[in-house]
Amino acid sequence: MRSAQQARWLLSMVGFLWFLPVACAQTPALYTKWENFTTANGMPDAKVFSVAVDGARVWAGTENGLVLIENSKVSKVYTTADGLPNRVVTGVAIDKKTGDLWLSTFGGLSQFSGGEFHNYDSLTTGLANNIVYGVAIQDEFVWVATTAGINRLNTRTGEWAIFSEKNAPMHEPWAYGIAVGDKKVYVAVWGGGVLEYDIAEGYWKPYTDPDGEMEIVLFKNQGLIHVIVSNISYNHDTKMFWASTYFGMSGYDGHNWYNYLSTDSGLASDFINATQTRGDDVWACTDKGLSYLNFKTNTWVTYRPNKDTGKGEIVITAADKKVTKVETATSLAHNYVLNMAFQGEDIWVATAAGLSHGIHESHKEGKSNEQARSSR
Amino acid sequence: MNGASTAHTARGTLFPSALAVFLLVIVLGPAWTGDAQAASSASLTPHYLTPIAAKFSPDGARLYVVCEDDDSVLAVDVRTQKVEKRAKVGHKPKDLAVSPDGRTLYVSNEWSDTVSVIDAATFEVRKALATGWGPRGLTTDRLGKILYVANSIGNDVSVLDLATGQELKRLTALRSPHYVQLSRDGRRVYVSNILAHLESADESPVSELMVIDAQKQTVAERILIPGVLELRHIAEAPGPLGGYLLVPFMRPKNLNPLIQVDNGWILTHGVAIVHPARASGVVSSHSEVTEVLLDDIDRYYAGADGVAFTPDGRYALITHAEAATVSVIDTKLLAQRLRSVPAADLPNRLDTGRQIVVHRLPTQSNPTDVVVAPDGRGAYVVNRLDDSLSVIEVPGFHIRARIDLGGPKEISALRQGERLFHDAKFCFQGQFACVTCHPDNHIDGVAWNLETPQLGRDRVANRTLRGIADTAPFKWNGHNPDLETQCGPRIAKFLFHSEGFNAAQLADLVAFIKSIPLSPNRHLAADGQLTAAQERGRDIFYQKACDTCHPAATHYTAKTSFDVGTAAKYDTSGMLDVPQLDRIYEKPPYLHNGEARSLEEIWTIYNPTDKHGVTSDMSKEQLNDLVEFLKTL
Repeated sequence: MRSAQQARWLLSMVGFLWFLPVACAQTPALYTKWENFTTANGMPDAKVFSVAVDGARVWAGTENGLVLIENSKVSKVYTTADGLPNRVVTGVAIDKKTGDLWLSTFGGLSQFSGGEFHNYDSLTTGLANNIVYGVAIQDEFVWVATTAGINRLNTRTGEWAIFSEKNAPMHEPWAYGIAVGDKKVYVAVWGGGVLEYDIAEGYWKPYTDPDGEMEIVLFKNQGLIHVIVSNISYNHDTKMFWASTYFGMSGYDGHNWYNYLSTDSGLASDFINATQTRGDDVWACTDKGLSYLNFKTNTWVTYRPNKDTGKGEIVITAADKKVTKVETATSLAHNYVLNMAFQGEDIWVATAAGLSHGIHESHKEGKSNEQARSSR
Repeated sequence: MNGASTAHTARGTLFPSALAVFLLVIVLGPAWTGDAQAASSASLTPHYLTPIAAKFSPDGARLYVVCEDDDSVLAVDVRTQKVEKRAKVGHKPKDLAVSPDGRTLYVSNEWSDTVSVIDAATFEVRKALATGWGPRGLTTDRLGKILYVANSIGNDVSVLDLATGQELKRLTALRSPHYVQLSRDGRRVYVSNILAHLESADESPVSELMVIDAQKQTVAERILIPGVLELRHIAEAPGPLGGYLLVPFMRPKNLNPLIQVDNGWILTHGVAIVHPARASGVVSSHSEVTEVLLDDIDRYYAGADGVAFTPDGRYALITHAEAATVSVIDTKLLAQRLRSVPAADLPNRLDTGRQIVVHRLPTQSNPTDVVVAPDGRGAYVVNRLDDSLSVIEVPGFHIRARIDLGGPKEISALRQGERLFHDAKFCFQGQFACVTCHPDNHIDGVAWNLETPQLGRDRVANRTLRGIADTAPFKWNGHNPDLETQCGPRIAKFLFHSEGFNAAQLADLVAFIKSIPLSPNRHLAADGQLTAAQERGRDIFYQKACDTCHPAATHYTAKTSFDVGTAAKYDTSGMLDVPQLDRIYEKPPYLHNGEARSLEEIWTIYNPTDKHGVTSDMSKEQLNDLVEFLKTL
């Protein structure tokens, strides 16, 4: 009995000490424990393009099929033999209302519902092009980013709308990613910046690089950092969108821009494949690791594997540019990161060599906290 | 041929009225002609009830009956067997659900796109809830808080919050979702689909039973039922029997030449036995499906539709809407049959019916539904085209009574025609009726090897019968100048392999087919205003001269044949009848052989040489706009 009490006291002290740095707003909680899903333990391909979390289920889009991970193992791999329209699954969106999955693939759009795939391609439906990079759900509308523009499918009427350089302020039709905001939809356009669609009014507004210089940022925070936008995410807590480009990262709150380069921040690289965000957290998926920004404290953390030691490396960059490094026994599967997703306090990271699960250390104790985060 | 003689009697009694109207027109002059004709038409047309579905009140004291042609729901006192209440609802009501406490009825109105909410005690309609397009089957959840509604035109399921009346979400169904059944444990909702997956025309159909997780209100599973069409009602066996489902179906051999009807086995009718997966969840579900036929080798029972278990599960009753029969299955014998014959063999075994069906009970015309009283002391069959209920003694299994719901006594020519349309006895061994391949007067969604004896030659997709009165000629090659030709000797020779209809019957049948209306257009705004995309599509329609072959004045058909380059390799001719375009969105697959699974495919795949309009220069945006306009027709 006494030992049990001691154990509980010890656990609470550990918990207190763990959160102490966070409470001091200096160092965010770190992910020091990683489990990786690779071709060695069931993944059908090394390259993981996308990941989405539906409660205890984790879905990963890979270069060779759709993967379901349950109970810390690959429980099912869906291929074209199961009805998937193409082996390359670039994006996964979960319709929280219906439970259906919407998949962007290199063979069109696919709806995975009740264990069956229903596919939409450009010959049979109004889909603009079969090369689909992103998909997002806005009520009964499914937004689709294709190489020939943006599609919007009304699932109730079956109407397909196409937005391209012909009817929207796009320099290029090549759309890469879509994020649904509270009243607006945001699209990442390769070479065309960010497009904002006003849902109620039905009009588009473009955001492009105001200096027009492809490789130079003339004035910091002047506007979108670069027009080659690879993806976009929306933060429902702060009402900001975050755009990833191959030349830095931009956040916008409707009034002010917040731009970040690797040269003036803790960002691992300016080559960014995607961002994800919630609360004060902004995550940047780069070609040199996974970077985290606490927007409030301007503290950065970058996770990457150390190729020399095989261990993990965490680089913490404080607001005053002070750098701290932490070595961990486990790490991301690869430093080339394509996307990520939240599962409570845990994170899932799509990399070029597998899917990585960042396990929050107080996972067990923080159940209620986890549920609160999951519900966002 | 009781019905035929009745029809003639009806005509005889109506003739003096027609004469009087004629004289009135002469006296009053041409200015009155229109009104007089309208008055005449109204007085000549009996107002039938056309009951289609029934449900018991939880205490078993009342039987609620939905009447689709009367736009009403009736309450029948089970003790007195009299109609004691009647409430008018929306247009074309099709089904109803009773709240778990028995205080509220919900009636689906297929043409109003609403559900009427009715106080079961006062029979007052409280309000109408908006649904998706074409609401049909429906059920509440176990607590009576959620209503699930199958939308037959929208191809989805509305999930309604009954506290607010608001729609929470819509779940994607397959095609023409039909019946909705809550599982006995309240954990699942099952939805049947009339039409099968849109697959290649070379493949036999695969139908789908949708399973909804009633706690999450998400799609848990889509159970595939191969080789069949027209999944109808759903009944769940009591728990001690394993809780399996019975789902009636039609099993077409549409890839075989239909001319082989006289060999039997072309259209068979039966029931799927579905053991739903125990574990709920998207992935781990693996339901088991077995199919058994209820026909006999030399006598078929078309139109398997309603289904119900006795409370102890010992018997299951299935209506055959096109054979005016109820089959009573002994479930013990069914279990033995399932054990003794490999599941893979059963779908094609015509000796099962005699093994498991212990009674064949004759009903009145077009029995579409059957319900068993909660106390198990009687079963009630809804005779759709007789405005009546047949009462079956249980467990004696004989017809105890007929309850007249109060429809007209006379049988009009139209009504007689509708009965003929739903009667399989004109086909060799009763294999099928007109409605078998035209459910709801529409399409079955598959292509048939219809007339030629060669396998795969001249295969044609089924065409709708809705709104076809003024669209002659008929048949895909346009060889039939009128419906009398289409439905008369041709049907008898090539399809029914029987003597077919006599002249009077043919006249009635054609009159009925000509009376089949189009359903409301859901893609066109109530004020007729086109959306921007529809307007752009209209411009393209006329710029591309689509109206040359599809003129608006004649239902968008030039009423002749053209070769638009869509003939298949083994088609006899490329000259094909121009189809009308009214409600085209309801009719996939498209083209004469059903090769095009969507309107888009007509031009993206099946118009390589621009013979079906010069469309190769169209952008994807333009094609989308054109499709949006076509949906408004």
